[in-house]
Amino acid sequence: MSSADLLVEIGTEELPPKALAGLMAAFTEGLRGAIDAANLSHGEIRQYASPRRLTAIVEDLEHEQADRAVTRRGPPTTVAFDGDGKPLPAATAFASKCGVTVDELGRERTDKGEWLCFETVDRGRPAAELIPAFVEQALAGLPIPKPMRWGDGDGEFVRPVHWVVLLHGEQVVDAAVLGVAAGRVTRGHRFLGRARIELRHPGEYLDKLETEGRVIADPVRRRRMICEGVEAAAAEAGGVVVEGESLYDEVAALVEWPVPMLGSFDPRYLKLPREAVISTLTGHQRYFPIADADGTLKPLFVTVANIESLDPAVVRDGNERVIRPRLADAEFFWETDRKRSLASRLDQLKDVVYQRGLGSLRDKSARTAVIAAAISAALELGRDAERAAMLCKCDLLTGMVGEFPELQGTMGGYYARADGESDAVAAAIGEHYRPGFAGDALPATDDGRVLALADRLDTLAGAFALGKKPSGNRDPFGLRRAALGIVRILVECGLDLDLKTALATAVAEQPVGGADADRIAEALYDYVTDRLRHYFLEREPGLDTETFDAVMARAPASLVDFEQRLEAVQAFIGLDEAQSLAAANKRIANILRQAGSDGATEVHEVRPELFDDEAEKALHEALSKAADTVRPMLAERRYTDTLRALAALREPVDRFFDDVMVMADDAGLRANRLALLAALRARFLDVADISRLSIA
Amino acid sequence: MVLTDAEAHRPGAIATKGRRGVIPARKPLYFAALPHPGTGHRSMSVESGQPAQTFQDLILRLQQFWAERGCVILQPYDKEMGAGTFHPATFLRAVGPEPWSAAYVQPSRRPTDGRYGDNPFRLQHYYQYQVAIKPSPEDIQEMYLDSLAAIGIDSRVHDIRFVEDNWESPTLGAWGIGWEVWLNGMEITQFTYFQQVGGLECRPVTGEITYGLERLAMYLQNVASIFDIVWTDGPLGRISYGDVYHQNEVEQSKYNFELADTDGLFKAFDHAENQCERLIADGLALPAYERMLEASHLFNLLDARQAISVSERQRFILRVRSMARAIAETYYQAREALGFPMVESVGLARQSAQKSAQKSTKKPAKESTRTSA
Repeated sequence: MSSADLLVEIGTEELPPKALAGLMAAFTEGLRGAIDAANLSHGEIRQYASPRRLTAIVEDLEHEQADRAVTRRGPPTTVAFDGDGKPLPAATAFASKCGVTVDELGRERTDKGEWLCFETVDRGRPAAELIPAFVEQALAGLPIPKPMRWGDGDGEFVRPVHWVVLLHGEQVVDAAVLGVAAGRVTRGHRFLGRARIELRHPGEYLDKLETEGRVIADPVRRRRMICEGVEAAAAEAGGVVVEGESLYDEVAALVEWPVPMLGSFDPRYLKLPREAVISTLTGHQRYFPIADADGTLKPLFVTVANIESLDPAVVRDGNERVIRPRLADAEFFWETDRKRSLASRLDQLKDVVYQRGLGSLRDKSARTAVIAAAISAALELGRDAERAAMLCKCDLLTGMVGEFPELQGTMGGYYARADGESDAVAAAIGEHYRPGFAGDALPATDDGRVLALADRLDTLAGAFALGKKPSGNRDPFGLRRAALGIVRILVECGLDLDLKTALATAVAEQPVGGADADRIAEALYDYVTDRLRHYFLEREPGLDTETFDAVMARAPASLVDFEQRLEAVQAFIGLDEAQSLAAANKRIANILRQAGSDGATEVHEVRPELFDDEAEKALHEALSKAADTVRPMLAERRYTDTLRALAALREPVDRFFDDVMVMADDAGLRANRLALLAALRARFLDVADISRLSIA
Repeated sequence: MVLTDAEAHRPGAIATKGRRGVIPARKPLYFAALPHPGTGHRSMSVESGQPAQTFQDLILRLQQFWAERGCVILQPYDKEMGAGTFHPATFLRAVGPEPWSAAYVQPSRRPTDGRYGDNPFRLQHYYQYQVAIKPSPEDIQEMYLDSLAAIGIDSRVHDIRFVEDNWESPTLGAWGIGWEVWLNGMEITQFTYFQQVGGLECRPVTGEITYGLERLAMYLQNVASIFDIVWTDGPLGRISYGDVYHQNEVEQSKYNFELADTDGLFKAFDHAENQCERLIADGLALPAYERMLEASHLFNLLDARQAISVSERQRFILRVRSMARAIAETYYQAREALGFPMVESVGLARQSAQKSAQKSTKKPAKESTRTSA
């Protein structure tokens, strides 16, 4: 079957840069889905995008669908013919629908009966007839953040559409997209390239756009050019790029012909907090800051123009001038914000409603302080966290944070230091929003950790007390992130905090939900440990969800304790005895359940004098010995050692089940054996419920 | 103001509004000067291609340009307002099906942006050049780029870019999709396709172009301070922006920040709102609209005096919004009662003009004008 490349280019007004990559990928996937559903074979699909175009090139797309043999089923023969075998109207109607006589129809027999049928061949349709619908379908499926209308049309799209290229091989596919007729003419760069570029076939697309159009249509290549160009410019100035990764994608979506150039600013602005300078450069202007090898900022930046200017000095100079008033504003905020202390702004926080039902930000600060004090007392560290909690939201009222919201906390740290607060308080405020995103650093100081925990515990407790537990993928209050932050801080910093007590404290501080406090705290523990599950499963690819469940059955109050138990169970799984013991535990759990015991407690004292069989005597002895061995280990939370010691029970356990009939007729004997098994199970349960392991 | 949990962690919602004029539909433009090579002297040349050399030359060229494109050249509205969008020629004309096109200068007031004339980039009173065309023309971006050429900005030299910046004014129940236009990194224009105004869907869509005149003038004249902009330089002498407006900035800043009588302003706000409601009940959209403009400016003054607490702010914004919505509906009904007369008188005429233009102009010709722009 013959095939050719298909080029689809939608030419638009400037597309939203942050959505561009997603639109491009969705466009390609939409096309792929539509083409595959139509059973047209094709090769690789390449995707391109620039500020003014979304493009896909489908390689080796078949020119025509293959013919397909199909069987159309008609009425059942019982309905199609009368008793004499003469065709009834149902039969003749079906036959005429198929364009044949009743005699020419076939019969299809299954165990459910017999039907009239018509065997035919669906002729494959030419790709040219199908392609318009592919494009339409792909465009309809785009994840457009805010669809818009323009002019007097009713059509909606990301931005107004101005041209469409639809070339299958050398043939233009006859179609219209949002009222724009498809053709073979693409357009170059607004100012540098040719406005009309005629394409003979898809193979010319990238080259002609680059040479005649002055457009780099491949976003990957554009990004690489920017990355290399920006780094080279920085290196030439004797520095390195700061925070480049966060900007390269966006800048690549803002230019069709990237031209990096170096600019400078007045060194006096380097007196400002580093983060404020970086935000000023990167935020609105998308400039790349430059620093020394040791991280000290230089009064330089790299900007990426979209033009090879006839006079590049004009572009550079313009960009340097733009940043001046912005840096001057940052300086102004830095100077004026420090004229008032953070503490003096606390009263003003009363005017800022935190959330309906949960009071003002002042109220939140007070609650956070109480929770921080409780955590600090429990952990015996972070004594300055309580003070930091009272002040940590005050920077929301400063000019600098108003201008650069992403500097919340960071600026609070600077202002606290300027106010003469202790280093610990300042550091805690400065880092209490950490971790703010996946992979973000954790607070480095004890006070920062305690404050970060307290702030998130209050956020979670407040939302749950209001009944705003997140559902599905929606998480408008950032609760999932808050819970994950708690998990990461506790586990990765090794803070052995009684989370259940801390949650209860946080719930008790809330102005609502008092009657339900216990239930809310339990729901919160479940919510946080659910995050813990995701956290561990993601961190350790070898971890089974059953292993997590084995520990979860114990609902440890401390996440550090949780992790230690988890490690122990993972180590246990590696032992030769594991499988047999896990199976035995499962069996015991079943036996105890059937016997009406909950299995988790020792219902009766074991009475050795009642033992009748050698195997049960042996097991009891081994168990008593093991219990003595592990008692001090458990006290020290040496769970791995505990389980290793208990692994020695495998042999007597196996023998017990081989030789002993647990459900003996004699009630006393039976109860005693159940008690022995319950005691055995309880020893393992001291660490985890290994009956839940997938090896069981 | 009411903050959700999520917003509380995104404090821009508080402080941005605290520092800026609240009711204005637009973020204030940062005024920045950019030098232009080889423009040390000032000639009076007005030939195309030469940068506009005076503030009034800049305005005159834009007036000329948009007049030639067929816009109604209007004069500023005689009420205080935060942006050109508030002129009824934009806000109200964006409502309903009737075609419309207008261009005008609009003095804009942002009391909180005043700096007593001390800051070379900020003013509490400045000018916007506003263009509003409905339906938005197919080639509105190219028209805009041509207008830059007309004031002397060469697109082969300067880095001109359309950078996403959608507009939303909860106060006006309005939003649109668009860009800020960058000139070598400096925002010189806001460009918006209105999607909704006063809670009503925009059908057809109005295209809005808002030029920051002082910024453009600073750039074209290569001056570092707004006050150094040459307003005119003719036989009667050379007059700077500072000569015209510096004292005004000093005195108005003092009034806005220190002296405005807040009790009186609160009462005036209530009165304006009350009158607005009465006028809406009488079906008089245009007088009601002026009362809303008054209320909105009074709010901005109260804001500059820091007389409105953060929690009261939201309530005030909602009060203005309900006025704006009711006015938009009343205006729509009034035009409807008239039978939307401009649909026929302007719309049909425009359509036939476009058809004949399309017949006589082949596509390539149209595009070649773009490349030469």
